[in-house]
Amino acid sequence: MTHKSLVPVALALCLCSCSAPRVGTDKQYFVAFSQCNNAEPYRAAQNALMTKLFAAYPDVKLVIADAQQDNSRQVAQVETFIRQKPDLLIVAPNERAALTAVMGQAMEAKIPTICLERDILQPNYTTYIRSDNVAIGRMAGEFIVDYLKRKYGEPKGKIVQMRGLLGVEGEINRDGGARSVFAKYPTIQIVAEPVADWIQAKAKDRMTEVLRAQPKIDVVYGHNDPMAIGAYLAAKELGREKEIAFVGVDGLGGEAGGIQKVKDGVLAATFVYPLCVDKAVEIGNHILRDPAFHPEKQYNIDSTIVVGPASGPAAVGRPSGPAPVGVGHARPLLDEPSKPAQ
Amino acid sequence: MKPWTAAAAKLRESQGLMALAGIVLLAIVISPVASDGSRIFLQIGNLTDILRQISLIGIVSLGMTLVILTGGIDLSVGSTLALSTSLVAMGLTRAWPGSGYAAHILYAIAAATLAGALAGAVNGAAIAGLEIQPFIVTLATMIGIRGLAKWLTGNANIDIGFGRDVAAEFAAAFRQKPLVIGSYAVLAAVFWVLLGRTVFGRHVRAIGDNETAARYAGLPIRRVKIVVYALSGLLAGFAGVLYAAGNQQGNPNAGVAYELDAIAAVVIGGTRLSGGKGSIAGTIVGTLIMGVLTNMLRLGNVDSNVEMMVKAVIIVLAVAIQRQRRMD
Repeated sequence: MTHKSLVPVALALCLCSCSAPRVGTDKQYFVAFSQCNNAEPYRAAQNALMTKLFAAYPDVKLVIADAQQDNSRQVAQVETFIRQKPDLLIVAPNERAALTAVMGQAMEAKIPTICLERDILQPNYTTYIRSDNVAIGRMAGEFIVDYLKRKYGEPKGKIVQMRGLLGVEGEINRDGGARSVFAKYPTIQIVAEPVADWIQAKAKDRMTEVLRAQPKIDVVYGHNDPMAIGAYLAAKELGREKEIAFVGVDGLGGEAGGIQKVKDGVLAATFVYPLCVDKAVEIGNHILRDPAFHPEKQYNIDSTIVVGPASGPAAVGRPSGPAPVGVGHARPLLDEPSKPAQ
Repeated sequence: MKPWTAAAAKLRESQGLMALAGIVLLAIVISPVASDGSRIFLQIGNLTDILRQISLIGIVSLGMTLVILTGGIDLSVGSTLALSTSLVAMGLTRAWPGSGYAAHILYAIAAATLAGALAGAVNGAAIAGLEIQPFIVTLATMIGIRGLAKWLTGNANIDIGFGRDVAAEFAAAFRQKPLVIGSYAVLAAVFWVLLGRTVFGRHVRAIGDNETAARYAGLPIRRVKIVVYALSGLLAGFAGVLYAAGNQQGNPNAGVAYELDAIAAVVIGGTRLSGGKGSIAGTIVGTLIMGVLTNMLRLGNVDSNVEMMVKAVIIVLAVAIQRQRRMD
């Protein structure tokens, strides 16, 4: 980048910080996105999609800040953004309590604020775009029960839950949703629930120990895809991956994502945890361009299930070849368990 | 080495061995029992699981032992490991198309390991040349190298070896238990000899024991320090190669807090944090203690938060007991 090209950027920054109301036909919009942690693949996918979608609007300048999973860093970043008076502020909060007050400050400063994916303690936002982890947990639980029914003719079997970072909303609800389903079937047993902090390498080690202790396992429910994959790798090492169905959550696209792992036959199914970004960009653009527009207080984005040929005995015996992968709402599949997975 | 130093070292090692034996006994006693009546802890598969799981920290700890013996510290090893996992995965998936599998794998491993050594050499050069404290230099590189790994990969994991390609061959070969454990064993033997039987090893201890005296004695302090940190980086780099194979991913966020696990293994093994005294054998015992303890608690389904508390107590106890006995 030359020095010349830096000048307009510096001017733009100056303009933003001076906060004078800008008028005119070629208005530039400044959109600030405070991301809680760039490191997770899910977050990286959110950033990539948001960058791509806003790139279609040349009058929007998007800035993404990474809080590195640190509350105080994110609060400081949002405070700095408030000083810059963006036309739109998007916050993916690291934790509920820590970000509630500072997002209230943004609202007081009359900055339209979108709360993305995780909620906060008070409704200090213009709109909240979310996905429902309880519903995802319930869908995963129903899928697993259905799988066991097909395998044994009745709902029974042994399940390992591979848990993420304890105490986090996603972990609590993906766990709770599934557990509420399992609780209806006393013959379904959760034989181990190791904690692997969302991390593939840890899940592999924890699963190795579980495999030593448990001679019989039917399903591993990983609260995210990397942990389900880690469990698969551990089982593969002991030659037991064929007797177990691995179910994950997140369903990211791309080479390293869960959908590819379903295609590869590693995961029996994954439940897409929506990035929520497309909705945020859509609503955000309305807010920027239409002063009369009032968004709903909350938008719910539904999850979808991605199943592959390894999803159960019903799929066994299918001709080998490129793995068919179906993407769709879980409902129809669950209502008709006798049908082979699409 | 003077006789009394050797005797003291022997004593420290045997203390560590006794602690290890105690924990192994406890693990056997409280181990859950498999359906065939055998104790799960004692199954060959479980025992080799432990060895495989400690191998990465074990390899990193070998370099850390040398660093700490010079009176230094290396906080950058976890980040270096992450850089190495990323580089080996990038090398396998994005570089050297058209070369044969064996050559391709060799290039990728060499690139990742040498990058580790280079990062270590930069640490050593800054510490020895600019005379900045090791804690500060390696704190800076811990941050900087992590940034480099994340920047290179664009924050994304690089999955390897799920198809049928060179990366799959690499993962299949380098995740084998015998290879992982064997690498650790061979490297441990090499560093044991390096520290215990060579002039270089004597220099390492002498610098940590009394750097001023070593300077007056005309020892090549700068060179020794640069080599020690380069070796630490090299080992972290190689551990990263094994991490990438074992977990089938290049992960720029891998290895967080590995430096602390390595330091814990070294000090539990009886090496003095201020330098000069300690041994590779002690570090191996320290690594084993942590590994067996972890396995014992997890086989027993101990709550993961309780596990952390138990570990904390064991670290302090292990070091305290060794101090106590030494003073008697």
